[in-house]
Amino acid sequence: MAELSTSQPVVTAVLASSEACARVSALPGACPVSPVEVAIVGDASITALRQAVQRLDPDAVVRDVSDGWVAHMLEGPGAREAFARLSELELPASGFVQGAVARIGVRVLVDGDRVELLVPSMLAAHLRARIEDECRELLP
Amino acid sequence: MTSGSLRFEGRDIPVREGDTVASALFRAGVRTFSRSLKSRRRRGLYCGTGECPNCMVTVDDVPGVRSCVTPAGSGMRVERGRGWPSTEHDLLHVTDLMHPLMPVGFYMKTFVRPRFAWPVAERVIRRATGSGPLPERREPTRTTSRHLHADTIVVGAGTSGLSAALEAAGAGEHVVMCDAYPVGSQVPPGRLLEAIRALETRARAEPAIEMLERHAALGLYDGPTVALASADELVQVHPRRVVLATGAIEMHEAFPGNDLPGVWLGRAASLMAAKHGSPVGKRVVAVASTEEGLEHLRALAGSGTNVIAAVVPAALVDEVPASAEAIADGELVSAHGPGRIRSVMVRERGQARRLRCDALVLSIGLEPRDELARMAPDEPVEIVGDAALGGAVPRVTGGTLCLCEDVSAHDAEQAWAEGFRSAEILKRYTTATMGPCRGAMCGRALAAFASARSGQADRAAAARTTARPPSRPVALETLAASVHEVIEKRTSLHQTHLAAGAELGWSGGWKRPFSYGNWREEYTAVRERAGLMDVGTLGKFLIAGRDATILADRIFPGRVADLAPGRSRYVLALDEAGYVADDGVLSAFEDGSHLLTSTSGGAEGMDARLREWTHRLGLHVHLLDRTSELGAILVAGPRARDLLHPLSDDPLDGDSLPYAGHGEVTVAGVTCTAIRTGFVGELGFELHHPRSRGPELWSALMRAGRAFDARPFGLDALELLRLEKGHLYMGQDALPDDTPVKLGLDRAVDMTKEWFVGKAALERLATTPLGRRLTGLTFDEGPEDAAVLRGMPVSAGGEIVGRVTSAAASPALGRSIGFAWIRTVDGELPADGLRAGEARATIAPTPFYDPGGERLRG
Amino acid sequence: MTLRIPCPNCGPRPHTEFSFGGQERPHTADDAEADFARVFLPDNDPGSARERWFHALGCRTWFELARDATTNRIG
Repeated sequence: MAELSTSQPVVTAVLASSEACARVSALPGACPVSPVEVAIVGDASITALRQAVQRLDPDAVVRDVSDGWVAHMLEGPGAREAFARLSELELPASGFVQGAVARIGVRVLVDGDRVELLVPSMLAAHLRARIEDECRELLP
Repeated sequence: MTSGSLRFEGRDIPVREGDTVASALFRAGVRTFSRSLKSRRRRGLYCGTGECPNCMVTVDDVPGVRSCVTPAGSGMRVERGRGWPSTEHDLLHVTDLMHPLMPVGFYMKTFVRPRFAWPVAERVIRRATGSGPLPERREPTRTTSRHLHADTIVVGAGTSGLSAALEAAGAGEHVVMCDAYPVGSQVPPGRLLEAIRALETRARAEPAIEMLERHAALGLYDGPTVALASADELVQVHPRRVVLATGAIEMHEAFPGNDLPGVWLGRAASLMAAKHGSPVGKRVVAVASTEEGLEHLRALAGSGTNVIAAVVPAALVDEVPASAEAIADGELVSAHGPGRIRSVMVRERGQARRLRCDALVLSIGLEPRDELARMAPDEPVEIVGDAALGGAVPRVTGGTLCLCEDVSAHDAEQAWAEGFRSAEILKRYTTATMGPCRGAMCGRALAAFASARSGQADRAAAARTTARPPSRPVALETLAASVHEVIEKRTSLHQTHLAAGAELGWSGGWKRPFSYGNWREEYTAVRERAGLMDVGTLGKFLIAGRDATILADRIFPGRVADLAPGRSRYVLALDEAGYVADDGVLSAFEDGSHLLTSTSGGAEGMDARLREWTHRLGLHVHLLDRTSELGAILVAGPRARDLLHPLSDDPLDGDSLPYAGHGEVTVAGVTCTAIRTGFVGELGFELHHPRSRGPELWSALMRAGRAFDARPFGLDALELLRLEKGHLYMGQDALPDDTPVKLGLDRAVDMTKEWFVGKAALERLATTPLGRRLTGLTFDEGPEDAAVLRGMPVSAGGEIVGRVTSAAASPALGRSIGFAWIRTVDGELPADGLRAGEARATIAPTPFYDPGGERLRG
Repeated sequence: MTLRIPCPNCGPRPHTEFSFGGQERPHTADDAEADFARVFLPDNDPGSARERWFHALGCRTWFELARDATTNRIG
């Protein structure tokens, strides 16, 4: 069984040189989207972060993009089983992976029995409906 | 012990524990289970293990169910398929007599002319063939789909498979095991079954082994990935290693009479006698060339079946049970009916002998089930057990070669004579191996036939036809598991629109309001007062970084390098062939960054395009897709400013926020980037805001607009508004190979720029006259009210010269207007004489409405 | 059940996560005729060719790889 809940995450986008992004990737909540893009999920003091990043890359963009994302969380012993119905991605024990979930591009943060799916907000309702349908037997 | 009964063609048939549908019917005396596809010959139980088509019946309205592997359930309704008036007495069996008139491939040659007869012929043929009608109404069963990652997958739960799985688990691997049937269910009682049960007990006790029974492997794909299908789920297994322990089936040979009811393969006879307690006949002749065949012979004799003769290799004569006459090194020549087997012809020491019998049991070789390995030769696959055997070479001397498609050896000979001379081409012409068995039974026979005829009997194995998934028939609803819904995008105003009574529809991958009840009133509101539209679906992109302007300059054909902060400009996006792929608006900001909007349907493509050229040109650009993050509301109409005034302290006059300009304004407490646009032809403010604040902004705007009856408007009103303004819809007016010149959009192109995507193509195209052009038209529909519709042809002098891409009756102009592409002559459009459908059409410059653009500016 | 494409950032993924960008080619050519060939006449030779792929449902970056169109082997 797994619980499904939806929340509004705090997401900061860092678009910077690969060197700067590599450093940012070490921060808590950092998800390396590409060599030149890192998403920080969770509270981050943007001003301080921007200053630090722009010291390495004056051109860098550091912005709050929370409005662009919605988080659907699957939690419980059945969370990974539910995820396996939605996606071919192999989940690590804990960490970040991005790829196709229910045929849309999703950012996945996983830690044990908690699987958090960050989806662009325009697709949030769609993904939620897909999860509820596909994982019907695993949700309360 | 009886466990209920099933309903079969009007009678109740008792069901015993462990029965399959076939064994229950057989015990009740059913001998004809189906009729062959074309000649309607009687077919009885043959393979017993779910490979051949003979036992297919309709169970609970589902046709094509293999009764020999389907457990019988109390209350099941079973019917046979083909046959008129019944399968038992099929008058259409006369087609077998007409066989000479229906040579192989005759249907490709016979029903071609007269053409009018085809619909009739088709109906008759459809009713006469097929496995049975599909049910009129049936609730689809819920099928789920899932992915499974493992170290090793073992396909096939026989002794080799179970051993391989236990070995892998012992080495610390996570193992997935699958079998199309329950473990051991295909094996008659005996030593082999005991061995399987022993291994099964150990495997089930092993936590590292995940056992998926009743899951058939459909195919092996790149990855590797193995697709498994059961009655209610589709499982895609992603292992590092694949072990195929799929075993071998008993060989099927084509000899005269081989498809008569009463001809059995060894396993089928042995299962029926030893497992289900029904002897297959009273006078049984057995032909056994394999070890397994001798086991079956012993099982038959041991279960009380009267085996009168056994044809075996001379070396095994002593193994034949005493009750049967052993015929050493005999050759089975033919089986004879009529209707069911009544005798066989055997050649013994050169002499032909006829043996009267009512059943013939054949165990004459093994055909490895290796089709999965042949599907993906590059994948790491290990084949163990019987599946790794070489396989015997079947004879093709007569009779039926392909049971499923009812292709006889004679058909194959005829096809060969007609020039079809390889297994692949024979398959396509005769349809042999294309039936439910997928070539498992007849693939080798077909290959053997082709190799022998071409004088290369030794290459029989190599001649096999390409193995392709699915290796077993699978229901479409299983394959479609989890792929039901179209991907739907929504803005944050979705619920707001629903609450306002909007009619939503699909547009560019989004669910959008088409109208709120009366689109004409909405149109009027925009032209006379003000309207609100949710344009949050627009693609929106941040282009930043030191090369941002360079990227824009190179991607868009128009002049953008001089776009000043605070200004916006209409841009086209071309592909490398010079064709218009999308359009949008580019806005420049003080810090050197740009905000680009694109069409709603083109957003993903625009993002891919921005990234592509950043990469190919090696530019230092930061790209952020803000399509989801930002909502956007268009406030348009002559009273748009009046609507915004009470909600904002920011100056919104023409000097502070001019047309084709943008600025940051706070409206109802929400910080917005306001872009002055003119898509609908009225004073307009496109308010880009954080998505989460959309509903509150919309409510405030609606409240403020109530004072003069401002209306929300949707795509229906937009269609007319933009058409009057002469604006194109990508994908409707603009076709995939339209260049800017063809569309009349040369103003968005600056050929003096050194380079932009598609420039070389435009230069090349400029040297040849345009073949066609998109143009605005007005229509005189006349008193007959011959409405001009989108898609209508445009003609000149009776000849079709173009097509209408958009058309509508324009209240502002008091006549119908539209766009059409029209063929040019020497680069020029025809001057007059144009008609669209019944109406007269006149070329008109666009915009139709407010050509000077006064309503937009100020 | 697909061709697997090795994304340099994300590792091997099913091709359904990607958009195909066609044969790799320079973005300019010497003259009009060469440009026409560049855009409309890809070599299409059997055997390995350099291609451009876009990881649409993943990291959304463009990259190149060599794929043999007759065997589907990559690299």
